[in-house]
Amino acid sequence: MVIFQMLIFFPIVIGIILFLLPEALIKIKGIIALLVSGYGAWLAFNTFNSTSGLYHVQCTLAPQLSKYLQLNVDGLAKLIVLFIGLFGFLYALYSLAYIRKGKSVCGYFSWFLITLGSALGAALADHFLFFVFCWGLLGLTLYKLIKGDDDESASAAKKTLILIGGSDSVLILGIAFLYKMTGSWIMSGSSFTTSSALANAAFLCLLVAALTKAGAIPFHTWVPDYVKHAPASSSAFLPASLDKLLGIYLLARITMNFFRLTGWATLLLLIIGSLTIICAVMMALLQHNYKKLLGYHAVSQVGYMVTGLALGTPLGIAAGLFHMVNNALYKGGLFLTAGSIEKQTGIDDIDELGGLSRVMPLTFFAALVFAISISGIPPFNGFYSKWMIYRGIIDFGSGSGLANKLWIVWLALAVIGSALTLASFIKLISGIFLGRLRENLSKIREVGFAMWFPQLVLAAICIFFGLFAAKAVIPVLFNFGAMADNSNLAGLWESPQVSLLILVTILLGVIIYLMGNPKKHRISDSFIGGEKVQNELNFLPSDYYKTIAELKLFSFFYKWAEKKRFDIYHIGKSIVLACYSVGSKCHSGILSTYLVWVVAGMAIIILILV
Amino acid sequence: MAKEIFYFLIFPGLLFSGVIGGFLSWFDRKLTARVQFRQGPPLLQPLYDFVKLLAKETMIPKYGSPTTFLLSPVFALFGASLAAVFILLPALGIDGGFNGDLLVIIYVLNIPSVTYIIGALASGNPLAAVGASREMKLILSYELPFLLVLVSIIIKAGMTINLAEIVEYQVLHGAFIGSLSGIIGFITIIMCIQAKLGLVPFDMAEGEGEICDGIMIESSGTILAMYKFVKYIMLLILPALVCTLFMSGLSVSGINILWSVLKILGVVLLLTLIRNTNPRVRIKQAMRFFWIWMNLFAIISIVLAVFGL
Repeated sequence: MVIFQMLIFFPIVIGIILFLLPEALIKIKGIIALLVSGYGAWLAFNTFNSTSGLYHVQCTLAPQLSKYLQLNVDGLAKLIVLFIGLFGFLYALYSLAYIRKGKSVCGYFSWFLITLGSALGAALADHFLFFVFCWGLLGLTLYKLIKGDDDESASAAKKTLILIGGSDSVLILGIAFLYKMTGSWIMSGSSFTTSSALANAAFLCLLVAALTKAGAIPFHTWVPDYVKHAPASSSAFLPASLDKLLGIYLLARITMNFFRLTGWATLLLLIIGSLTIICAVMMALLQHNYKKLLGYHAVSQVGYMVTGLALGTPLGIAAGLFHMVNNALYKGGLFLTAGSIEKQTGIDDIDELGGLSRVMPLTFFAALVFAISISGIPPFNGFYSKWMIYRGIIDFGSGSGLANKLWIVWLALAVIGSALTLASFIKLISGIFLGRLRENLSKIREVGFAMWFPQLVLAAICIFFGLFAAKAVIPVLFNFGAMADNSNLAGLWESPQVSLLILVTILLGVIIYLMGNPKKHRISDSFIGGEKVQNELNFLPSDYYKTIAELKLFSFFYKWAEKKRFDIYHIGKSIVLACYSVGSKCHSGILSTYLVWVVAGMAIIILILV
Repeated sequence: MAKEIFYFLIFPGLLFSGVIGGFLSWFDRKLTARVQFRQGPPLLQPLYDFVKLLAKETMIPKYGSPTTFLLSPVFALFGASLAAVFILLPALGIDGGFNGDLLVIIYVLNIPSVTYIIGALASGNPLAAVGASREMKLILSYELPFLLVLVSIIIKAGMTINLAEIVEYQVLHGAFIGSLSGIIGFITIIMCIQAKLGLVPFDMAEGEGEICDGIMIESSGTILAMYKFVKYIMLLILPALVCTLFMSGLSVSGINILWSVLKILGVVLLLTLIRNTNPRVRIKQAMRFFWIWMNLFAIISIVLAVFGL
C-alpha cells in the first residue's frame, strides 16, 4: 500500500533532507514541514476512512526489510493516526511563526518531521521490531526538541532521555518475554491471561513503557521538567499530544489485545490511575510557572485514561480513549496558548502577568475554552469523557472482585481530582488573562494568524466534541473491538439541545441587558472600601491556595515532594551515587590498600579452584 | 426542540424556579427578621429588588475584562436553569431524565459558582480576588462530601444513577431519610448545600463586613439583578434536590402537592435557622470542617448503607 509508505516514510525522509538546508533558511524549512505535515494529515484522514486489515509494505530499496513492515490498520490504530495527522499539521503551522531563527532548537523542523513519521509508524506497526524502532526514535526526537543550552534545561533533557530510554529498554525486555511465549514478532493475534510468571513479567514491562511514555505516576517526573524548559510547540507536540496518544495506545493494546486482565492487574492499574490523578493535580495547584503547571496537568489527566482502560468494560475503554483524544486536544491547545503568551510577553510566571484578555482576546478565548474543557464543566468535551468514566466506574462497582468493591474510592478520587483541576485552572486563567492589566504589558499585541488559527481550531474541536459527542463523535471514532454495536456508550445526555439552550441563554442575557438600562452605565475603577488601588494591594494568584498547603493534612506531602522523595529519577540517582561512593572508597589511591585487594582476590581464586 | 426550550425557559426552568425561588427567598428573609424581632419585608420584595436593580446604573470595571465580566451572569443563569431542568423534571415526575443524570447534576450545579468566580476575577478588584479564591476553596471542600452522600444514595437505591429511578425506589421502599444512613447523609448534604448557597456560616466568599461582599463587590445594576435571580433559582433547586434524594421526590398530584411544598419549606427553614444561629467561620475552619468531619459523616453513611441500615 503506497499510502502507508508515504504516511510513515515521507516525513522521515524529508526531515532528513531538511538537515542539509542551512539554519538561516528556517522559514523555508518551516514551509516545507508545513506542506509535508499537511499532506500527512490528508493521508491520515484517508487512512481513517480505509478498510481495516493487515497490510504489507513492500520496500523496493531493500527487499529484505519488507518482512518487518507489516502494518495492522485496525480501529484503534486508525483513530490514533487520524489525530497524529491533525496535530502534526496544526503544530507545524504554529511552529512556523513560533520558532525563530537562532533562538530555538537546532534542526527543529527536521526533528519535527521525523517525530511525525515515527509516531505514525509506531501507531501502525504490527511487527514488534519495527514498533520498537519507531518508539525508540520518538525518545530521541523528544531529546532533540528541547534546547538544552543552559544548566537547567540540559538537566531536564538528560532526565527525559534517561527515563524514556530506560523505559524503552524495559519495553524491549517485555517484548523478549512475549517472543519467548509466542515465538512470533507479530503484535496482532497474541492474547494471554496475566496468570503465569512470564506473562506477568511481560505485562509489567510493557506497562512500564506505556506509563512512562504517557507520563503516569511514578514515571511521570520528566514531564513537568521537560515542558518547563522546552519550546511550547515541542511541549504541545510530544508530551501533551503524541506521547499521550502513543502511551495510551500501547496501554490499550496491552489491556485489549496482548493480555486479558485478571483481578490484580486491574487493581494495580486503578491504583496507578487514581494516584496519578490526585497527586499530580495537588502539585499543579501550587505551581506559579504556567508551563510547569500545565505539565503537572498533563500527568494528572493520564490518570483518567488509565482508570478508564483499567475498567476493561466497553464503556470504560471508550471513556478512556475518548478522554485521551480530548486531553490531546485541550492540553495541546493549552501549550499553544502558553507559547503565545511566552512569545509576546517573555514572562513565564503567573504572578507577573494579568489582564491579558484585553490585548490578546483570541488567545484568551481559546485558553478559556481549553481550561473549561479540562476542568470538566458541561457541556465541553472534557466533561463528557469524565462523565463516561464516572458511569463506567459505577457500572464496574456492581462486579464482585476486590477492585470492583473499591469503586467508591476510584470515583471519589476522580471527582475530587476534577475539582482540583478546576481550581488550578481558575488560578491560571485569572493570573494570566483576568485581573488588572499591568503597565509594562499594555503594549502587548495579539499573536499572528499562524499562531491563533491552530488554537482556535483546537478550541472549536473541543466545543464540537463536547456538544455532539453522543450523536456524531463517539459512534464514528469508537466503533471497533468491544465497543462496536454498543449503543449504551454515549448515554442519552442531549448535548445538541444543550448547545441550543446556550444560544437561547445568551440571547436572553442580551435581552435582559437591554431591558435593564443599557445607556445608564459608568466605567469606573475598582472599589475597595474607599482606598486607592495600588499594586501592593493585589492578591497574587500564587496565594490563592496557600491555605491548602498550610493544612497539616497536606503540608507533609508537599514537604516530601519538595525534597523530591517521589521522583523516581531522583531516587535512582541517589542509589547510583550511593553505590558510586562505596566503590570510590575502595579506590583510595594508596598502594598498600590495592595490594591487600590483590592478595585477597588471589586467596579467593585459590580457594575456589582448590 | 420547542419542548426543551419551554422546559428551560418557562417550566420548570428559568421562570418557574426563579419565581418560586424568589418566594423562598422572601420566606428566608421574613423568618430571619422574625428571629431578630424585626418586621421583615413584604411578599413581593424579591420582585421589587430584581426590577429595581434592573433599572439601576451598571458599573463596568475600568481595568478588568469587561466582556467576561458582563457574560458571567448570563452563564450563571444558564447553569442554574439547566440544573433546574435536570433536577425538577424527575423530581416533579414530569420526565424520566436520562441514565447518569445524577453525575451531570453535580457538575451543572457547579456552573453558577464558577461563573461567580470568573466574573469576580474579571473585575480586577483585589477584594473580589480574595472572595473568588475563598469560593474556589469552598467548592473544593464541599465537593467530596457531596459526592460521597450521593454515593450512599446510589448504594441504597441499588446502584442506579438515574434520579427518576431513585425517586421510584423510595416510593416503593420508603424514603431514605427514614433510615440511619439516610439521616447522617441528610445532615451532611444540608451542610454542603449551606455552603453551595453561600449562607452563613459559609459565606466567607462574600464576607460583607470584611471584604465588602467579596465576589459580588463589583456587580451592580443589571448584573447584580441577574446574580440575584440565579440565587433565587438555587434556593429552590438545591432543597428540591435534597427532597428528591431523601424524601421520595416532589409529587404534584392531589394532596401530595401540599406535602411537596411542606418538604421544600422544611428544608429552607432548616437552612435559615442554621444561618441565623451561627457566626461566619474562617475558610480554613470550613475546609477542615468539610474535609474531616463531613467526609467522616458521609463515609459512615456509606458504610451503614452497605449494611442496609
